Amino acid sequence: MTRPDPRRRANRAWLLVLPVVVSVAFTAVIPLMTVVNFSVQDVFSPTDRVFVGLDWFYEAVRRPENREAFVRTLLFSAQVLLVEIPLGVAIAVAMPRRGVWVSVALVLVALPLLIPWNVVGTIWQIFARPDIGLGGWTVANLLGVDYNYTLDSTDAWITILVMDVWHWTPLVALLAYAGLRSIPQPYFQAAQIDGASAWATFRHIQLPRLRGVLTIAILLRFMDSFMIYTEPFVVTGGGPGNATTFLSILLSKMAVGQFDVGPAGAFSLIYFLVVQILCYVFFTALTRSGR
Amino acid sequence: MARTTGGRLPWARTVFWLYVATLMLPLLWMFGMSIRPNEDILGSFSLIPQRVTFENYQTFFGDPSWYSSYLNSIVYTSMNAVMSLVVALPAAYAFSRFRFAGDKHLFFWLLTNRMAPPAVFLLPFFQIYQAVGLFDTHLGVAVAHMLFNVPLAVWILEGFMSGIPREIDETAAVDGYSLPRFFVRIFLPLIRSAIGVTLFFCFMFSWVELLIARTITSVDAKPIAATMTRTVSAAGVDWGLLAAAGVLTIVPGAVVIWFVRNYIAKGFALGRV
Amino acid sequence: MFEWMVWTPPTALVFAGLALLLVVMTVWGHFSPPVARRGFLRIETDRGDRLYIGLIGAAVVLVGWMAVTDLSMWLALGCAVLVVVVIGIWG
Repeated sequence: MTRPDPRRRANRAWLLVLPVVVSVAFTAVIPLMTVVNFSVQDVFSPTDRVFVGLDWFYEAVRRPENREAFVRTLLFSAQVLLVEIPLGVAIAVAMPRRGVWVSVALVLVALPLLIPWNVVGTIWQIFARPDIGLGGWTVANLLGVDYNYTLDSTDAWITILVMDVWHWTPLVALLAYAGLRSIPQPYFQAAQIDGASAWATFRHIQLPRLRGVLTIAILLRFMDSFMIYTEPFVVTGGGPGNATTFLSILLSKMAVGQFDVGPAGAFSLIYFLVVQILCYVFFTALTRSGR
Repeated sequence: MARTTGGRLPWARTVFWLYVATLMLPLLWMFGMSIRPNEDILGSFSLIPQRVTFENYQTFFGDPSWYSSYLNSIVYTSMNAVMSLVVALPAAYAFSRFRFAGDKHLFFWLLTNRMAPPAVFLLPFFQIYQAVGLFDTHLGVAVAHMLFNVPLAVWILEGFMSGIPREIDETAAVDGYSLPRFFVRIFLPLIRSAIGVTLFFCFMFSWVELLIARTITSVDAKPIAATMTRTVSAAGVDWGLLAAAGVLTIVPGAVVIWFVRNYIAKGFALGRV
Repeated sequence: MFEWMVWTPPTALVFAGLALLLVVMTVWGHFSPPVARRGFLRIETDRGDRLYIGLIGAAVVLVGWMAVTDLSMWLALGCAVLVVVVIGIWG
């Protein structure tokens, strides 16, 4: 399967990569090193600090709040994937593939992706309110459900999930759509001649061709939902109680809110480790399916 | 006939446009909020605005703390897009054309920075940017956003560049072009659309980011997103103004999206589609 | 200038070790280029990949250890080193 790599061997190419390495070193490596340093000390000020060894790490992995936030975030990411991937593929299949409406459809579907994340929060903060929002009002008054996302944990969770589905399903749809468009037309004609049902066409012609793009869609959706911060921060602020306190929200509360740099540092590193593992798994899947 | 157009079911069209309508609903609702006076918003629930007013927009453009933070966002996102592009161009070329020690690992490392939560790096940002004098400056935010935008730009550009035949490079080399001259004269014009797409995505991801921008600014470079999250005052939320600001932040993306519509999937997929 | 990085001897040692490891791998790669092959991990890896997987695995062992047991971390470190070695050789 593996094609011979056509690229020339030239270690001088490092010179071309150097600017990237320097800029990312400044924005990522130095901060990360500092986080490591924070994580083993109790820092009151740069000159007044105590070495505490692995205490913060023990706290980070054992504090119930952290564990709950971790499970909560994983659960959220799983739900996001379960809803958005099938829904996105379905939308992509239903999207027009030729004619003047293609461009309009593309632009309208992509629109939610270009909205600042905090504004997505604002939109849903307004839309889901039972008193002034169309969505919340419909659920509460027309369907007669006792719904209030600021008071009820389940309502808050569902609101965040629906918001994420609204915000990011278009991404899955666009990726799947790009994958579908790359399928040559004769495939469909052949299927039609064979009298294949719509489902059979989808299952045996379209779906296999979507493997590559769906890998990317899953990677992006998993990673981004795993670090979700801005939208729930705006809508619920992590509440009510801790119902929507995801990892990033918990971490920023520790880091920016309380300036507990030691515990936050240890917690960050473990968070980062999880991201590294997931990223590597997906990267391996991606580069292997790409060949 | 429906199935010959790529396996679409007859009712797919209806379902699709219904979905688009649902998608637009929250957006339209916010727009509706932005053109109502606050008394109407809170006073009575109605589908159609009873009185249309532009006072929320007037407030926005009349208050320096609002419009200057809007300008701040535009300034640092533009700076960031250009800086990320300039840094990423040679690197993407190197990744697409050469093999060198550790290239695969470097490429992966870049991806992890795009995927890592900003909250992880955030902790020392305050100290770092204060130490180097970039705290609360546009340049500071632009540099900080390079954390995820440089990897993004490298991946997107690499995806586009790998689609350009290597024979072009070789022919140019035979014709006596040096690498920098080839790159500027021949290669850059070839990847014009890729550059546009990359600029757009860098601009956009910097535009939508809140956490980092908020942490390393206070007054002079405060982004619009941060101003928006601080509208909750003692007098309650000014819904109309908030909605107006929200509508205005969507404008830049909505204006440019038409030009990049065929590349959106590619851009979001880091050039891998 | 780097006071805000609040260095401590142990963390400095860890990063110096990592930097050294990178240098060694580069030099080694220069004299005998890495070869990709398949081991018990069932994916194609060269020695750099295996080192990375090994180090990540070691970190998982250390963190997991802290999460579930109060036994000495030196024991965990032993296990972690074992993980790096095993993956490095047979992975």
